[in-house]
Amino acid sequence: MASSSTQPAKVPEDNDPLGDSASSAADDDEGWNDVEEDVEEDGDDDDGETQQVISLLDDRVFPDVMSMLVHCREKHGFDFLGVRQHLQLDFHGCVRLVNFIRQRAHEGLPVSEDISSSDLDHEQYLKPVLDDDAVIIGLFDLPELTPPDAQVGGGGGENEALVNDLLKRNSELQEELARVSAQYENYRATVSQTLDERWGDVAEPAESSKAGGAPEKEKAKGMGGEGNGEVKKEDDSKSYWESYAGVDIHETMLKDAVRTDAYRDFIYNNKHLFAGKTVLDIGCGTGILSMFCARAGASKVLAVDASAIIHKARENIYHNNLSSTITCLSGRIEEVTLPVPQVDIIVSEWMGYGLLFEAMLPSVLWARDRYLTPQGLMVPSHTSLWLAPVADPVWVADNGPDFWADVYGFDMRAMSAGIFDDARVLHWPTDKICGTAAAAFKMLDLYTTTAADLQFTAPFSVTLEQGKNEKNKDPVDGFLVWFDTFFSPQAPADRMQGVPLAADAKALEWCLGADGKKDQDRVAFTTGPWGTETHWKQALLLFGLDKEDKDKAAKKGDNDGKADAEDEEKKDEGAEVVEKKEEQGQQEIRGEITFSAPEGNARALDIWAVWNGRSQTWALR
Amino acid sequence: MELDAAEQQLKGMAHSEQHYFNSYNHHGIHEEMLKDEVRTRSYMNAIVQNKHLFKDKVVLDVGCGTAILSMFAVRAGAKHVIGVDMSTIIFKAKEIVAVNGMADKITLIQGKMEEIEIPFPKVDIIISEWMGYFLLYESMLDTVLYARDRYLAKDGLIFPDKATIFMCGIEDGEYKDEKIGFWDSVYGFDYTPLKETALSEPLVDNVEVKAAVTDPTAVLTLDLYKCTTADLAFEVPFKLSCRRDDFVHALVAWFDIDFTACHKPIRFSTGPHTKYTHWKQTVFYFKDVLTVQQGEEVSCNLLVRPNDKNRRDLDIKIDYKLDTQDATRRVEGACEFKMC
Repeated sequence: MASSSTQPAKVPEDNDPLGDSASSAADDDEGWNDVEEDVEEDGDDDDGETQQVISLLDDRVFPDVMSMLVHCREKHGFDFLGVRQHLQLDFHGCVRLVNFIRQRAHEGLPVSEDISSSDLDHEQYLKPVLDDDAVIIGLFDLPELTPPDAQVGGGGGENEALVNDLLKRNSELQEELARVSAQYENYRATVSQTLDERWGDVAEPAESSKAGGAPEKEKAKGMGGEGNGEVKKEDDSKSYWESYAGVDIHETMLKDAVRTDAYRDFIYNNKHLFAGKTVLDIGCGTGILSMFCARAGASKVLAVDASAIIHKARENIYHNNLSSTITCLSGRIEEVTLPVPQVDIIVSEWMGYGLLFEAMLPSVLWARDRYLTPQGLMVPSHTSLWLAPVADPVWVADNGPDFWADVYGFDMRAMSAGIFDDARVLHWPTDKICGTAAAAFKMLDLYTTTAADLQFTAPFSVTLEQGKNEKNKDPVDGFLVWFDTFFSPQAPADRMQGVPLAADAKALEWCLGADGKKDQDRVAFTTGPWGTETHWKQALLLFGLDKEDKDKAAKKGDNDGKADAEDEEKKDEGAEVVEKKEEQGQQEIRGEITFSAPEGNARALDIWAVWNGRSQTWALR
Repeated sequence: MELDAAEQQLKGMAHSEQHYFNSYNHHGIHEEMLKDEVRTRSYMNAIVQNKHLFKDKVVLDVGCGTAILSMFAVRAGAKHVIGVDMSTIIFKAKEIVAVNGMADKITLIQGKMEEIEIPFPKVDIIISEWMGYFLLYESMLDTVLYARDRYLAKDGLIFPDKATIFMCGIEDGEYKDEKIGFWDSVYGFDYTPLKETALSEPLVDNVEVKAAVTDPTAVLTLDLYKCTTADLAFEVPFKLSCRRDDFVHALVAWFDIDFTACHKPIRFSTGPHTKYTHWKQTVFYFKDVLTVQQGEEVSCNLLVRPNDKNRRDLDIKIDYKLDTQDATRRVEGACEFKMC
């Protein structure tokens, strides 16, 4: 997608102003000291090297600022001092105004007196448009600003006041300079990293933030060389992530309000937890969670992502004036060098389809063990997996093997081979759920969970719905799997003990307080069928035919073609299947479910279930 | 083993090519195409209703997929059909053809059209469903044209044999705001760096017919008997005349497909005025909003060409100009898009 080849080139370019601003500010440091000395000596500009003052609005050159400003007022109708008075600009503000005008003039845009404070409220205007702009230095020579309510004529001691004022301004500028320098450090680290990457010093990143909302077609594309050798896989991941440099997937995730609101609410409702803290955002994507944390008062946020989207994140962060708080690092979390030994909080949106598909959770857990302080906070703190039995014969007829049995009069059953082997990602209607209860089969406490825990076998039990409509006549068609996510504000006293949460806690109930109203500190969301649809939807594990059914189906396939009589028989057989299931009187389904990563592909997910004497495996790919 | 060899061959290709072919290995995409009734039924009617054209003919199916078109051709009386597809779906197609008792009538060959040899020196008819989004995106028309030049007998037929791209101006303020304006403020943050990217990606989606503000205009007509791959990079100026006082936020493009060789010509459209197809329509947002009055004309220039690096991607440039007496509404601009 959006040519990743242009992006690396583009980003440093876009960031250049920042770099320039920082370095010019550093260069000008001395210059300002000079000026200060001048003022202290005699307040006179004549120290030998008279600078040429270039007009703000054309190419004319003047010996001093005042005559230039008079020219601008008379020739171009632009009253610099008037604007300054109107906006009550201090020295700092005047610098911005000068650069704002120069920038517009440089771009060939018209300059009018209709300028508002917000026009000037951009850091970029602290950066001189002209090197060694004599106008900026000359600003010290301008007459004092008249306070809005005071009348002209301040009286005696004017010089002393001026000096004090200038000293004050100077210290303000020093602070500004320190801030900009810090920003520049971030930028420099970024640039050197980008260059390292471009020059091939660092292996090209091969994994990234999220696969969550991948459009299906893209998904298929990304699976290029699945099952091939190790080296090959790296290559494929690379092109896979290149294909995600586009905005679609990020738009889908940002517009998933269930997801994004949950992170926002937790972070903004718990500002006390973030104030002054160092936060690590793993798989930052467009940088949204990092920016939430920065707005919530975090003193430092490290945003890490291995995909090319990090370049857009950096731009976003810069545009939102958060570059001094947030540092973007491009690469795998296991490989990047963090500028701090420890972090207080880890924020990550790592969840994939079926929770663990393509998951980056092992990376998050690795970072937790490596960087999180003992009392540090995990955001989110817990996730749990759920399952329910489903039945919808109409849907199965349209999307199961029957569809392929007759396609425009042709038998295409060859296409249905393996149709039960893959889990399907879709949003399932609640009225097609045929169990009275859903089962929580796995709770992950993200303080204590280890990578090894992500391959597990867990028991489950669900009760089939009774006596409601004719639903219980339908055989069960499969299991639906989804997950809940919890954000607990409680940090563990001892991380090894984790933070307690009932194994069957339901997201939508847990985040309510004792009074049944929304608890402000707790946030949780579900991706289940009863919640608002999310981009994760649910995973459907469709039951294959039992062995007996399979035999019949095979027999039927063999003596294919004898029309009507055969069709009758088919109907009978269908009825038999239903009866058989009823006879067994399966009021309850008990079993075990196993999540594991297939050998040689740690990012895929295999789900294996054993229940009521049957078993089946599904793959999420 | 055959499958292994095919996979080996795929591995040797450039990534973009691999992705293209591999994306067709999955069931889902074939299911979507087969379930697209407008598409599949039009092909079926064009072939099966014209037995007089297919009887005893040798037919080549370019990009045969599940071989549905090949089987239609056999049903229409073809002497023999050769189906060619690079994707490994062709091994499923072989099973399907066998199960339907047509194995002796249909020869399926896995490989690139340009690299394989077919067991006939010439064919009488070429059938192919080669169209992509915006007709030309990820399209295999160049492969069809290759097959035409290499194999089609003199006076041979092509199904379909005509394709036309149309464009018109649409009022789409609400959706544009949702898709493009969204990036102005995301949870209170300025996300404009992503706005440029969003603007440069044409949107494949369904447009309601009531959104049309201008008359549609044909911007490209391809006669498959005559056109060459050079025609797939084109530049065309055109004018859109406004039907009512409204705003124009975007141009929408769609295509019509004609089977003119049929006894009774068959045509289907993928436009906003007709039934849904999996191609939907393609929307190109302008940076500006045009405020138009009934009877005015918007002058446009469309430039389309395959991307230098990946010929299945498209680079598209649209210039637009609203020239009116009313200086306040006069607008001129250009947008560049990339379909990839």
